[in-house]
Amino acid sequence: MLDWLKNINKEYPDFWKTYLAKFEHKSKRYVVFSTETSGLNPDKDVILSIGSFAIVNNKIHIGDSFESILLQYKYFHDNGLSNEFILESKMKKLSEPEAIHAFIDYIGNAVLIGHHVDFDVDMINSALMRLDCGRLKNEALDIDVMYRKLIDVNDKQFSLDELSEIFKLPKSYRKSPSEEAYTIALLFLKLKNRLGIK
Amino acid sequence: MNTIAENIADFLKEYPPFDNLTFQELSAIATSIRVLNLEKNETLFQINDKLHDCFYVVASGVIHLSVIADAEETLLNKCHAGDILGLRPFFAKNNYMMTAKAREESIIYAIPIVTFRPFVANNPDVLNFLLESFATNTWNPKEKENLRGKLANDNVFYIDQKSEMQYFQSLTYNRLPLTATINDIAKDVALRMTENSSTSVVICDNQLPIGIVTHTDMCSKIATGQFPLTVTMKAIMSAPVVTVVENVSLAEAQLLMLKNNVTHLCVTSDGTDKSTVKGVISEHDLIIAQANNPGVLIKEIKRSSNAKDLKHLRERLTELIQNSIHKNIPLSNINNIASEINSAILKRAVELSILDLGSPPARFAWLSIGSQGRKEQLLLTDQDSLLIFEDVMPDKYRDVRDYFLKLGKKATAILEKVGYELCPNGHMASNMLWCKSLTDWTKQYDSWMNTPGENSNDLSSIFFDLELVFGEKKIFEAIENVILKDLDHNTLFFDFLGNDALRKNSPLTFFKKFVLEEDEPNKDKFDIKTRALMPLIDGARLFALHFNIKGLNNTYQRFKQLAIIDAKNSDIYLNCAEAFLTLSKFRVSEGLKNENSGQYINLSELTKLDKEKLKNALAPMKELEELIKSNFKLTQFS
Repeated sequence: MLDWLKNINKEYPDFWKTYLAKFEHKSKRYVVFSTETSGLNPDKDVILSIGSFAIVNNKIHIGDSFESILLQYKYFHDNGLSNEFILESKMKKLSEPEAIHAFIDYIGNAVLIGHHVDFDVDMINSALMRLDCGRLKNEALDIDVMYRKLIDVNDKQFSLDELSEIFKLPKSYRKSPSEEAYTIALLFLKLKNRLGIK
Repeated sequence: MNTIAENIADFLKEYPPFDNLTFQELSAIATSIRVLNLEKNETLFQINDKLHDCFYVVASGVIHLSVIADAEETLLNKCHAGDILGLRPFFAKNNYMMTAKAREESIIYAIPIVTFRPFVANNPDVLNFLLESFATNTWNPKEKENLRGKLANDNVFYIDQKSEMQYFQSLTYNRLPLTATINDIAKDVALRMTENSSTSVVICDNQLPIGIVTHTDMCSKIATGQFPLTVTMKAIMSAPVVTVVENVSLAEAQLLMLKNNVTHLCVTSDGTDKSTVKGVISEHDLIIAQANNPGVLIKEIKRSSNAKDLKHLRERLTELIQNSIHKNIPLSNINNIASEINSAILKRAVELSILDLGSPPARFAWLSIGSQGRKEQLLLTDQDSLLIFEDVMPDKYRDVRDYFLKLGKKATAILEKVGYELCPNGHMASNMLWCKSLTDWTKQYDSWMNTPGENSNDLSSIFFDLELVFGEKKIFEAIENVILKDLDHNTLFFDFLGNDALRKNSPLTFFKKFVLEEDEPNKDKFDIKTRALMPLIDGARLFALHFNIKGLNNTYQRFKQLAIIDAKNSDIYLNCAEAFLTLSKFRVSEGLKNENSGQYINLSELTKLDKEKLKNALAPMKELEELIKSNFKLTQFS
């Protein structure tokens, strides 16, 4: 319970201090992101790749993006998996500390958007813990929750595919986190408008 | 490396002008793209908005471009996926001249001008495409065809277009009028007028119009000897001059000329004689503007030599209809004009086929049935027709029939190219069943009408809405008389038709809610054709046959006529006539909006007022139903 007291004197990495300092101002930027993970347990599983885009003024800025593959050598080695498919990809490859560092720099104080975003945030938080940082401070919005609010349904979850179908978005066949993030971004714009969020 | 940028580049490279650029260039452009989502009816930019710093490409959905003339909104163009809009910032500094509005929920790519400009500068093909798009008038469907696939739909300034709705279009006029001062001498001015082949000269004082001298003035004042050749303009000019604003419509200009009894109008920047002269509208300009009217369309149809020409003309008819509806011209008038033009197209299609096949070996009649037979075909619906040829000697019969079948096939194929789909039930003259000799047709009608229950599967009530398109009037009259004769005291047949008319499902539920479609692809839409229009059409036909109304096939006119003949029920008929027009209008608007047959109305798109209007238009149907029930004893088939 007194964990935070313990942490108060703890020395954070520099990038984390910069990150914390950004929260003095409120942001008008949204960052939509999605992660690909090795499994569903935030404690044991790791992030394999991240894709994200920024939304400013109701516009998705394609250039303002972050995507990377995380080279999880240790995880693959420990679990006896092959990492060939990662090496084949043309996306930028970073080690987990590098990638998380860059991602934190990228999101800054933006509001995070995701699909079942709690899980993505948990995954990032676990990775941050390994780097001796605190938890993400960003506000996070979940498009599934937004949609359920829109249609006033509480007892059902909607997958990204279902939402794409409902809003008649074209389905992409390859499912990279970047493509997921883009789809989430479009859904977010539509939902934001319908819910009247300014 | 940016996956989505590459996906967007992949999309762009399919469309001009981006197809002139390399994939690397497109990827670079794509990284600076911003993606927007437009709700339905959301405005992207409107007239007089400051220019945006980007132009737009439609990724999905439909954007409508429109301009406003005479306080009326006119649709210029529909942009679909891959179309470019908002090019104005490339070429001009002043504000937008049109409004871009999402017709349905759309996703738009915004490409910053700064990013794209270098590619324009370095690539002449891209520049040419943009210039062409910027300058071209896409309103004319003929040009649209020529430029399809390489043209962005934008930046048409309304003065340049020739929209088909003559009286409400803006005028093209002389924007560089001849001017003179009050001290100029008549002879000099006359020489200048002759040189410039101008019929008028505006007399200006410091750019402001104070009078005008026209041919008439020269004739009546100089040539008569009333004034000498050396007289100054001051003495002979007509003043003050009648001035108008820049985007005046044909109708307005005409009225002003009549009202003021003048032949020329002076255009000034604010419409008064206290501002600078912008041009002169002469009577001749009005005549030119009217060249693009339905009469001309029919003339052009008569001259056309292939299916492609006819297709262009049919597209112009669609524009005409669309504009007329926009301008709230009564639907019955539009119906008349459209059906005349439609008939001309059908007739020309048969003529072209005859030119191809050689003269027919016997006299014949080509009849339209169904909606064209009733002169109610505004949208491109399917074609229904039949062919009757005169009786010939048995030894010739085969050849003759073969010729007419060939003729039927050829003509329907031409019409299919024009855009009239083939009838799914095969109700066409190319079908052996509906291309027969007069005797066979007489037998056919006899059997349909005297024993309607027995062979009813191929009896469709559309066979009783006939119109002669081409051929012998006598044959047509002969078949009309057969029908008339068979109608006499034929309660059985009326029973059949009456039941047929009542069989349609009711449009409203018990709780006065619209009955919506339950299955995809038209789920939750209202089937206005089967649930609302067909019962009225069937009812009108039934009563028209019952009261022996000949020559009137149009549902609206049938009801009007019925109100006169069957005076005690005239209220019901008149209500039905109005309801029919209202419902047709809903259908046509829907069809034009979505470029389909308009059969299914999306109720969620209607305003509350429109919904009420639609509901009210359904009310007379119930009365008509009761009337049918009480008039005909519908027992044999129910």
